[in-house]
Amino acid sequence: MAHPAHYREAHPMVFVLTHWINLISMVSLAFSGFYIHYPFFSGFMGVARGMHFFFMYVLVVNLTFRIIAAFFVKSAVVNGSRQQDTDIKNWLPQEANRGQMIPWLKYYLFLKKDHPLGAKYGVLQKIAYIATVPLTYVMMWTGFSLYGPYMNHPWFESSLALVGGPMNMRIIHYFMMWVFIIFTAIHAYLANVEGFAPSRLIFAWKESEGLEFDPKTGKVVGGKGH
Amino acid sequence: MAYEENGALQSLLAARGVTRRDFLKWCGSTAALLGMAESFAPQIAAAVEGAVLQPQAPALWINGGACTGCTESMAQVDTPDVATIVLDLLSVNYFETIMMAQGEDAEAAKADLVAKGGYVCIYEGTVMTGFEGNALRVAGKPQVEELPEVFENAAAIVAVGSCAVDGGWVAANPNPAGGIGVLEFCKEHNIETPVVNLPTCPVNPEWVVAMVIDVLYLGALEDLSVLDLDEFNRPKGIFGQTIHDNCSRRGHFENGEFVTEFGSVEEAKGYCLYAVGCKGPQTFTNCPIVRWNGRASWCVESGAPCIGCGSANPLEAGGNWVDVNAPFLNRHRDIHVGDWVTQPTVVGAAVGAAAVAALAVHGVGMKAAGRMDGGAPYEEMKERDAKKGGGK
Amino acid sequence: MARTIVDPLTRIEGHMRVEVEVEDGIVSDAWVSGTLYRGMESVLKDRRPQDAFYVSQRICGVCPISHGHASTMAAEAAMGVQIPEGARLVRNIIEAAQFLHSHILWFYTLGALDYVDPVKALSANIADTYALAEAAGTRVADFGAVAKRLTAFVESGNLSIFTNGWFGHPEYAQDMPAELHLIAVAHYLEALEVQGDAAAIIGIMGGKFPHFMTSVNGGTTFVPTEQKLDDVLYRFTKVVDFVNTALIPDTLAIAPYYLPALGFGGGTGKFLSWGVFDKPSFKADERYLPNGVITSGLAVDNASTDNVVEWVDHSWYEDDNGGLNPAEGRTKALWTDYSTDDKYSWGKSVRYQTTAGSGTGEATEVGPLARMVVAYVKGVEPVVDLIDSTLAALGAPGQPEVLVSLLGRVAARNLEAAYIGGLSIDWLVELIGYIKGGDVEYFKAHDVVDGKGVGAWEAPRGSVAHFMDIQGGRIAGYQVVAPTTWDIAPRDADGVRGPMEEALIGTPVMDAEKPLNVVRVARSFDP
Repeated sequence: MAHPAHYREAHPMVFVLTHWINLISMVSLAFSGFYIHYPFFSGFMGVARGMHFFFMYVLVVNLTFRIIAAFFVKSAVVNGSRQQDTDIKNWLPQEANRGQMIPWLKYYLFLKKDHPLGAKYGVLQKIAYIATVPLTYVMMWTGFSLYGPYMNHPWFESSLALVGGPMNMRIIHYFMMWVFIIFTAIHAYLANVEGFAPSRLIFAWKESEGLEFDPKTGKVVGGKGH
Repeated sequence: MAYEENGALQSLLAARGVTRRDFLKWCGSTAALLGMAESFAPQIAAAVEGAVLQPQAPALWINGGACTGCTESMAQVDTPDVATIVLDLLSVNYFETIMMAQGEDAEAAKADLVAKGGYVCIYEGTVMTGFEGNALRVAGKPQVEELPEVFENAAAIVAVGSCAVDGGWVAANPNPAGGIGVLEFCKEHNIETPVVNLPTCPVNPEWVVAMVIDVLYLGALEDLSVLDLDEFNRPKGIFGQTIHDNCSRRGHFENGEFVTEFGSVEEAKGYCLYAVGCKGPQTFTNCPIVRWNGRASWCVESGAPCIGCGSANPLEAGGNWVDVNAPFLNRHRDIHVGDWVTQPTVVGAAVGAAAVAALAVHGVGMKAAGRMDGGAPYEEMKERDAKKGGGK
Repeated sequence: MARTIVDPLTRIEGHMRVEVEVEDGIVSDAWVSGTLYRGMESVLKDRRPQDAFYVSQRICGVCPISHGHASTMAAEAAMGVQIPEGARLVRNIIEAAQFLHSHILWFYTLGALDYVDPVKALSANIADTYALAEAAGTRVADFGAVAKRLTAFVESGNLSIFTNGWFGHPEYAQDMPAELHLIAVAHYLEALEVQGDAAAIIGIMGGKFPHFMTSVNGGTTFVPTEQKLDDVLYRFTKVVDFVNTALIPDTLAIAPYYLPALGFGGGTGKFLSWGVFDKPSFKADERYLPNGVITSGLAVDNASTDNVVEWVDHSWYEDDNGGLNPAEGRTKALWTDYSTDDKYSWGKSVRYQTTAGSGTGEATEVGPLARMVVAYVKGVEPVVDLIDSTLAALGAPGQPEVLVSLLGRVAARNLEAAYIGGLSIDWLVELIGYIKGGDVEYFKAHDVVDGKGVGAWEAPRGSVAHFMDIQGGRIAGYQVVAPTTWDIAPRDADGVRGPMEEALIGTPVMDAEKPLNVVRVARSFDP
């Protein structure tokens, strides 16, 4: 029974902040979005719409910043190591991820006892994190297509025509919100199901002791619990 | 100015009790209707006055699979009234619902004009292709047999009402009579006559008048860009903004003041109808501005949520307003998965709940497997490295 | 034998073909075909009961109000919902506005050209026209301006909607003075404006017309205010005034020149009315125009939708769609070919059985004549007075049977307009009183529950019934028996002609190429 050490080098301060901003934006967007979908109490539509637009811009700017920062900020190569490399290298698939998809699936389905080795993120984790990037932009796009001041712009107008009108666009926007909600649920579950060290690090920037990994091979080399 | 010297129009108008002031006012509102600045009013006046001396422009009004509602609607216009349109502005040689002739004589009136060509063809109702076109028979044969020639020889086609645009309710699932819109029919028959689409059920007659002005007096036939059509062939000036954008109840929407039940105190106060399914936010028409029945009122003002009868998609089957907007009192349309009909809300909540339930079950597994506290021990090496026999 | 065909029959709602056999200048046989199939029933299947109101009214662009009301009534009956008093008045007023609109439109815009020849009006003397208008007690207009406009129009050479009209037809009353033709033309133009005022009433209370928005299941979404009702009252006053000062006097002025039309065009003499305009009791046989059916002589029974049966032997539907009550009805189209010996119409042959579930049933006429006859036999006082005084004016006092004719059918429609015009103002005043008193409801909140219901009501052109079967909150079955379905019904299982077909028998035809009397009879049903 052991989990990797969680060092600040894995999530530098700037990413702790972007993660916080993501969380707050997404919760605000989901709440205000539900309200705009159906106003379940009165007197809030103007505020809800204001919130929805504000946090949409915050989320999109934050995401864009996060992507650019990935090329300049260094983060740990693997969990349980203080050795860093440019973050984007750790975000995109790495040599250490190769061949690990099936083992991860087997592990989650209780068909494999041992924890598969990985890089900073596991295979499925990486797929999910990378997918959120285009999803967020598409979400923004669908939102703009539904938004009065923008819906007449030729880009958004043709998008509306592509999906068969605003009603269909609304439903796509609505279903995508559920995709984000489900992503968030799975993300929060998997991050914390084996202990709260990841949350302590990403939210409070608190380190936790644990297994040490070799940044080159990705294998356990020591640390607490070895 | 030139138009002030135009005595013929003056006497014509005077005979109808229309003053010059009324006439210019009408020109101004027509300008607004066409999405132009009111400063265009003198130009419109000049165009109309110039045109009035010419013989009336030839037109046909063809009823397809129609309920005659668009004709009825046309009878409600007063800017100018329908008598002026059919007696003075246009020569509508075929118009089933109001024409004097019948039978063979009516058909002959149509055939003569079709042979001559160069007319405006106004088409009301759905193009009925079902049962080899026998879903609508006129003069002893399927109407679709005569349509290619009628459309081909026209200078322009104005498809009035949602039925003519994309089949309307007639084309709604399961489209039992094979209804399609005029544009689709023209595409199938390689007819290149320009089509102007004016959806809503029925058509708002003010828009038809606007098209008459455009086509006859502003040279739309020579230069289609006058019409400024969008990709669904709708004039942008009319169908460019949503009902929501111009709604008189919009203030209540922003305030979060909603009607959740008909006949309630909120309804009496004129609160926003969004929560009872109003389709104003996704329906592109200027109904709140031109209103209906001689500007007497319009749907939302009478307390009824918009049902999106102006939603139209002539390029895609199933884009008709009924399939897109029903159930009308819900916020979302129904979605069809095979025979199963459901609401997006149900699907979203069900999938969300299923995901959470799956995670809970998985959590129980994790607990049972003893992985809750720190997870399982790490593998020594990747499985495939182990298989390759790599022990290094 | 020579067959004469009129296809399309114009100046009606929809698409229709009339085929007659003429023998010695008299129609000896007739076939009437509805030539359009759209399949409303299939479109509504599996949709929500609350959606049917919006979609089903779009069967007819001239009588959407009545279809809409029949649809909500069917849903309300299925769900056991009773609409409140405020909604009753709002619906009655909207319905009345449509009746007035429709009857004015029929008489002037659709029907008049069969009796009035605009070319004859050209030779009218303007001063004499004023004198004649005064003598006939009908409305005065700027006859000089109308004559000028008409002359300019004819001289332009573009006859527009008058192209190929049967001008100078020998069956136009030859002795009808040119001045009366001109009066009618003037009122033809004025009627266009007045029908617009009637429609604007629906615009205010229903959102728009045609196709209105407010009479949803459970009541109405229209919450009246005094200001809005003032707008409505002003318009009603104008419309009712036109009915009393133009529609009725014109009818009485023109009728004497067409007295032969009392002798043909009658039809089966069997009448059906589901009843229209509810009283506070909401009972069909107590309505202002009550429910009732007459299948023999002048004996009236209460009419029930259980007694309705539809045949498809001569209609383009699968054979197993026939012989059913619409509550069990099926609509599966089957195109074969047009043949008067076999199938020849998209309309089903709907019949009224004197005993529910037995026999082929009777070909009953529906419409204003049917409603007025039923109300007359039932002794509805204002109707009795109207009919008796009109019969006296036409020189047939105490002979209500002459109403069963072409002229009777036309007159009954206009008399009904007069009756409803009076009622509408009463209802409006009553509603304004309610607003001042406060505490009146317009909508009954309800859950969607499963069940079967029928909404039986009247449209201006006749009886309309919607049959709704709700299962699992969705429409499992929907059937509409529209007014025109009754009147233009083709032959039934026994080969018996429908009401319009029967009415055409015996119609005199002077010119087989231009059978003016035939189209008069067909149009008199306002199909």
